[in-house]
Amino acid sequence: MGMTRLSSTLAWGLALSVVPAVIHAEPFKLEGDPNPALVIFSQKNDGGWSQSLDEARAKVEKELGITIPVVENVPENATAIRPAVELFIDRGSNIIIGSAFGYSDTFLELAKQYPNVAFINPAGTTNAANLQSIYGRTYESQYLCGMAAGALSKSGKIGFVAANPFGLVNWTVNAYALGAQKINPDATVTVVFTGAWNDPVKERAATEALIEQGIDVVGQHVDSPTPQIVAQEKGVYGTGHHRDLSEFSTATQCSSVWVWDKYLTPTIQKIAAGEWETSPYGAFLSIKEGGTDIACCGDAVSEDVKKQIMDERQAIIDGKQVYAGPLSDRDGKERVKEGEVLSDADLWGMDWYVKGVISQQ
Amino acid sequence: MAEIAVPKAAARRGFFGRFNLEVRGHMPIAQQVLVVSAGILLGLLLSALLLIASGVKPSGLANEFIVAIFSSKRNVAAVLSYAAPLTIVGLAATLAFKARFWNIGIEGQIIFGAIGATLVANSDFGPASMRIVTMALAAMVAGMLWIALPLFLKIRLQVNEIISTLLMNYIAFNFLLHLLYGSWKDPQSAFPNSKLFDDVERLMPVGWQNLNLSVPIAIVLVLCVAWLLGMSRYGFLLNFVYSNARMARAMGVRIAGLTVLFALASGALSGFGGFMISTGIESRLTQSFFIGYGFSGILIAFLARNNPFAVAFFAILIAVLMVAGQSLQVFYQIPFAMVQLIQAIIVICVAASEFFIHYRIRMVG
Repeated sequence: MGMTRLSSTLAWGLALSVVPAVIHAEPFKLEGDPNPALVIFSQKNDGGWSQSLDEARAKVEKELGITIPVVENVPENATAIRPAVELFIDRGSNIIIGSAFGYSDTFLELAKQYPNVAFINPAGTTNAANLQSIYGRTYESQYLCGMAAGALSKSGKIGFVAANPFGLVNWTVNAYALGAQKINPDATVTVVFTGAWNDPVKERAATEALIEQGIDVVGQHVDSPTPQIVAQEKGVYGTGHHRDLSEFSTATQCSSVWVWDKYLTPTIQKIAAGEWETSPYGAFLSIKEGGTDIACCGDAVSEDVKKQIMDERQAIIDGKQVYAGPLSDRDGKERVKEGEVLSDADLWGMDWYVKGVISQQ
Repeated sequence: MAEIAVPKAAARRGFFGRFNLEVRGHMPIAQQVLVVSAGILLGLLLSALLLIASGVKPSGLANEFIVAIFSSKRNVAAVLSYAAPLTIVGLAATLAFKARFWNIGIEGQIIFGAIGATLVANSDFGPASMRIVTMALAAMVAGMLWIALPLFLKIRLQVNEIISTLLMNYIAFNFLLHLLYGSWKDPQSAFPNSKLFDDVERLMPVGWQNLNLSVPIAIVLVLCVAWLLGMSRYGFLLNFVYSNARMARAMGVRIAGLTVLFALASGALSGFGGFMISTGIESRLTQSFFIGYGFSGILIAFLARNNPFAVAFFAILIAVLMVAGQSLQVFYQIPFAMVQLIQAIIVICVAASEFFIHYRIRMVG
């Protein structure tokens, strides 16, 4: 039944303080040539999160001239994760790449049990000398797509369909609003949380309700492309998440897309060279380091706006911060002081919204 | 004297003659095992053909696929640690189905059981030495609570329990999310799962591989349910009701009472399954711990025809298929859809072999 896939998908993130730093005496040493394997929690052609990892796998294979076997549909419970990983290790794999928040605990156990194997877990929360959780600074790419939304919206009323209200979703909502307001200072973002990562029925209902209220651009942070498809049906624009969703909908004008290969290829090379040192807080990747980037822009975005977006992207690569002070929440409380930048810990714990965000809560 | 034509309802003219389908009497256990083994073998053969047709080299197929699973201690442990909770939920389904209460809400009861156990763990209720037992009891009570409403609606208002128990699954799941995104989220990381259980809140390891007490507990529970259904007075009455409810009622058997008793026991066992998965495997309450158990339990009970020993057998079969499916993917890089196809072929072959336990095809004339 539909319930089985819900939990998961994606994107959770690495927490900052989850596992106390294991003492990292020396860099991790790999025995033999790198032999990575990928363990995916849903279908590798899911059109979103998992597919982005599988596509990165193909690119890394090409760039490094190796083959990376994959096993899919390994649900987020220990009874399923452990045999899949151990079968790979028995077959000589020495770099295991995961794909889910729900793998965190089991990967930590396995990392302790197999100190000669390197573990990398996108969306994980645990870290050790041979285990690195990775996630992207998705607020950067969502900010840039928010700019496209701000330019595309005639009414200044933008909608956003999101999964669950917690740190890593809230930061995309806020960044999206900040991006839109960069173009149109009066823009508002009305967000609906569906409470599920992948629920096309609720996503459709939410998107239709938003459009009936007069919004004319739909952003999203859920796993299915449903909001984009509904946007096309209703003749409004949209922006996507995970992958370039213009594949599914002509409405999609910009997408926040995962570019894992930009991180995985150099990391695997580092592991092979014995230069890999993990961070006890996980790797929190910016556009520059290979988290997310944007697929931009569709025909509806003018050349002028497109240039502004690309300039802003370059500025972010050069060090511009989306959450730079002074920044207040919608109730007027100051959240980031002038001259300061929101800390990573505050990002993961973000439970507030910027001015112009309208939500159920 | 004219010969009277005897109508032969089940007879068909086949290529070689006529065949009759006849009901068998009881088949000896050894023969039953033989028939089921033949079913498994046929399923494996068909699967092998399928793999070869899709480009897998036939040499070493049996070696890599079957021997690799049973010769590795680790894989045997993986099978057993998955089979133990599957057995529990299979038994839970069996108890309800025997009472003709179609409990499709096992998943919800698993979730509630784990919630009950976590409630005890989170509040550090009672002495630490008794914590794990308290958690188990709380899980059983929570599982019973979650089946109580559909049970009441069925007994009092004749509300169809297939619908009500199924829908209760969704309520349970959303309540779980409510807790995990709300007051029970990990205080250390603010992520949506409960904090890790302390050592006293986990099932004790048995000292072989990573197995814990869940396997011996599952064995004991199989024996308990076998006694309950096969030897106890309640089992006798239940068999009576199962084969002829009207007759049983006429003889003064309290059918409603029996249904309530067995449905509650089913809820309690499902809740216990939730306790076993969360404390024995995940070590915390997660959003996905229950995936793949609830509906497998129903499948197992059907395949096992409500026989507790057969439940254990089919739980192990399902667990083997899971691990084997992963190894097929790892070894041959075949897509998951192919794995599902192979799993389905084997399950259907085994289910179909049942047919030959109950019927025989005899050639006549």
